Amino acid sequence: MTLKQLLIGSALAGFMAFGAANAASAADLIAIITPSHDNPFFKAEAEGAEAKAKALGYETLVLVHDDDANKQSQLIDTAIARGAKAIILDNAGADATVAAVKKAKDANIPSFLIDREINASGVAVAQIVSNNYQGAQLGAQEFVKLMGEKGNYVELVGKESDTNAGIRSKGYHDVIGEYPDLKSVAKQSANWSQTEAYSKMETILQANPNIKGVISGNDTMAMGAIAALAAANRKDVIVVGFDGSNDVRDSILSGGIKATVLQPAYQQAQVAVEQADSYIKSKKAPAQEKQLMDCVLINGANAGKLETFALRK
Amino acid sequence: MNRRRLLRAVGVAAIGFSLGACKIVATPKKGVASNDDGGDGGFDPQKMVHAIWDAKVIPYLRAKAGRFAEVAELARANPDEAGKKYGYRAKEGSEPWTLVVKIEGRIVSAETNSRAATISVDNNGDGKIAAIVQIGPAMRGTALRDALDFVSFNDFRNQIDYAQFGKAFNQYVDHAFLSALPRDSLVGRNVTALGAYTVEAGDQPPLVTPAELTLGPPP
Repeated sequence: MTLKQLLIGSALAGFMAFGAANAASAADLIAIITPSHDNPFFKAEAEGAEAKAKALGYETLVLVHDDDANKQSQLIDTAIARGAKAIILDNAGADATVAAVKKAKDANIPSFLIDREINASGVAVAQIVSNNYQGAQLGAQEFVKLMGEKGNYVELVGKESDTNAGIRSKGYHDVIGEYPDLKSVAKQSANWSQTEAYSKMETILQANPNIKGVISGNDTMAMGAIAALAAANRKDVIVVGFDGSNDVRDSILSGGIKATVLQPAYQQAQVAVEQADSYIKSKKAPAQEKQLMDCVLINGANAGKLETFALRK
Repeated sequence: MNRRRLLRAVGVAAIGFSLGACKIVATPKKGVASNDDGGDGGFDPQKMVHAIWDAKVIPYLRAKAGRFAEVAELARANPDEAGKKYGYRAKEGSEPWTLVVKIEGRIVSAETNSRAATISVDNNGDGKIAAIVQIGPAMRGTALRDALDFVSFNDFRNQIDYAQFGKAFNQYVDHAFLSALPRDSLVGRNVTALGAYTVEAGDQPPLVTPAELTLGPPP
């Protein structure tokens, strides 16, 4: 059993060429699995986890599932085969992920979920998630204020497979819905993508020139929208994002996007690794599996303090 | 004083009760509880709030509350101590403290053009705003939910359910007594409220969500 694991481990290590880890002599391994690093949010998350894991003396295996549940399942297999002591996971779907995490659990590998939750308790050791709903309410309240509680607006929604796309949209609507003079003229998914948001925004604008604001499910789509609006010479349109990226910070500081909501991505990933470390060393699980981390509104007043998904004091 | 409190308590209980009966009709129309995101059949946050309001929520808040001036001062000096004594926060995660207060004072300004209407209260006669009390119909945050030590995110299927439960508290107080408040000539009247606020960074006066509120006569 140990020999087999060792063999698979070194075979995979050689085959997949992930770092210099040699399964036979390496330190304990923590696998860090997130969506694509194309989105700086997920990159910050992976880097936060990696830095903390290394500081605590672990080897790391950093992988991306590209929001593909099948690929995620294979990556979990890889982590199991490599004998990872824990998995830090920003998952690829609230329902689809349950089986993958269960598989790791059955192989005695604890999972610590970050950013996105799954629709099951007792499978992962921890689910440390941004309070997306609270964050969406902050963003929507700022949006409502900027809009003067009235006018036509557009909503750009994230990737449907991502729970947080739905949670944010719901959070937006629970606030905006209380203002009958705010009218939704278009609601479309741009799949978290900047380029897709750009082209969707162009089309929406042609059909609805009479818009006053755009509320976006994340920052990359907000960047796409503001670029399309600028190209159409519509700098009057209010744009609000979500995540707290450096790109949006710069846009806020130069008078483009009006606001976003910071998710403490870097800190969240670090907390997950700390909890994994404590679990590995003492089998001590956090008191509560599901843990919420509050988001913070970013606008012109505090954007200058934002750096890589963290707010400087 | 005791008698007045008792009477008010009975009053609030009665309002809760009568609304409890008519809300069952009102709920499907608003569609908040069940039918707008599907797949969540039996979950009815408004019903849940009704079920615990008089029996658990009000007694808990009354027992936990401190006088606003004392709570706010302690919160400035030592937020953790204020939180332990007058408030609650989830043990894990990074949620801030939510504090429970009784505030009594004079309304020095009112914002009633916004649907997120508020009254600003001066509690010590210095003319300054000590706290801003939400009077709806739109309300920010989930302070009433977050003040309760017997409510945990872990008891909910996901953030959406947890959030709907939080919103149901705001809807409850809106229906129970806030929507009946006058919207003009509020300035100058006295007000007494039991409510909760979430500690935020900065020097802004706290934003209190009321669980009980009584207006004095016009000046």
